[in-house]
Amino acid sequence: MEFLGQDRREGLGRKANSRFVLFLLIAVSVLLLLSSLYSAQASVFKKAREGVIDAASPVLEFFAGPIAYFNDVTGSVSDYFNVLEQNKALRQENAELRQWMEQALELRETVAAYQGLQSYAAPPQAQPIDAYVIGEANDAFARSMIVNAGRIRNVESGQAVVDEKGLVGRIVDTGAHASRVLLLTDIQSRVPVYIEGADVEGILVGKTRDDPTISFTESSAPIEVIPGQRVLTSGAGGVMPRGLPVGFVEGMAGDDILINLYTNYVRTRLVRIINYEFPAIGAGGAEEAPTPVESDGPAPAEG
Amino acid sequence: MGYRAENLLRLFKAAAPTLLGIFGVIILALPVRLFEGAIPTPIIPLVIVFFWSIYGPNYLPALSVFLIGLLQDLLTGGPLGLWAGVYLVAQFVVMSQRSYFMGREQKVVWLGFALVAAGASVILWLVMSLMSGVLLPAGALLFQMLATVMIYPLFGVAFGELHRRVLVEV
Repeated sequence: MEFLGQDRREGLGRKANSRFVLFLLIAVSVLLLLSSLYSAQASVFKKAREGVIDAASPVLEFFAGPIAYFNDVTGSVSDYFNVLEQNKALRQENAELRQWMEQALELRETVAAYQGLQSYAAPPQAQPIDAYVIGEANDAFARSMIVNAGRIRNVESGQAVVDEKGLVGRIVDTGAHASRVLLLTDIQSRVPVYIEGADVEGILVGKTRDDPTISFTESSAPIEVIPGQRVLTSGAGGVMPRGLPVGFVEGMAGDDILINLYTNYVRTRLVRIINYEFPAIGAGGAEEAPTPVESDGPAPAEG
Repeated sequence: MGYRAENLLRLFKAAAPTLLGIFGVIILALPVRLFEGAIPTPIIPLVIVFFWSIYGPNYLPALSVFLIGLLQDLLTGGPLGLWAGVYLVAQFVVMSQRSYFMGREQKVVWLGFALVAAGASVILWLVMSLMSGVLLPAGALLFQMLATVMIYPLFGVAFGELHRRVLVEV
């Protein structure tokens, strides 16, 4: 520490930033890169990530409030110019939603009647964990967010994260007080989904673009999709619950089916992490996708 | 001022660019969404590495640059060593051209920064494309680098004032 000050006094001490150290550190960086190529999930790296998220979370949390305020101020500047159109659109949407509400109320009564039947067994309830977004990778290629809930609140890797619109991503790193959410647009993101009405299971693949695509596990025949069809999580793999809204089919780009996500990452502030335990099914059933929870037979409610 | 306080101040001055770099990384890790995400967050650590590699390499030793980059890798969740390597290569390139940049007009230095940012973009894109096995769309990266280059004059002036008036002054 002492030599830093002395070095300043000397002014032009050229040895302080030596080429040797620079080259050595470049070599270390390349080695780190190469090793993360072969072991991206190496426990040492994962531990380091989780530790840094944890250590940085108080700082991030401290700044997240003012940043959110600042975002609101800058974001609303453009709103002033189209407030009338927005009002019109919202009024129309409100009218449509009221119709949906009537239908929903009717359905609620019907469902209540069915639930009254003797043979009904409730599906296991998910345990939601609410958290704020306190960090976001402002990086062109790494798409992730940091939320202020961690192991202490039962957050685990793989759990689904949703906001008020739909699926946001899934947990990849968990510190004690904060965790990282891998967004659906990240190049590493793979989420099992199905297209409503098409009855095909597929994998939602992130492309670092705004719209992820669906690739199918068994692409025997070309799959017919209609733009506007809903895409929901399939629950295959047994981590995320089935039926979380993801987005809708936007169209085709070559062989890929482009999906427009319901969630808008620019507005994601409050999220819900879904701590869900699947009803126990036969061990070793990895080949077969789990049966939908809604239509599942009697199963012991866990967690 | 006591001897101790003076020493502390000296230490703080010597560490100022490093601390600024760390702060720049924290800004990159915060949910900053300028104009609803229309403008990407500028990569301020790159500006800091560039500036002090020209005007005061002793204030930003390679170890500091490495740590700033590593922190960014750890916080953004990318592959470890990527940003650390990019910043270090940037420092090496800039330091090798230091005698050219010293005392030049700010316009020329700005152009130099644009070239460094372009070089960094190429490295980032190549490495990430290699690691993910597909050619990634480069639009978002170029846009972010463009935002960084656009804000350089502002930060260049601010860092210049800080460096001349606060850090170097005895």
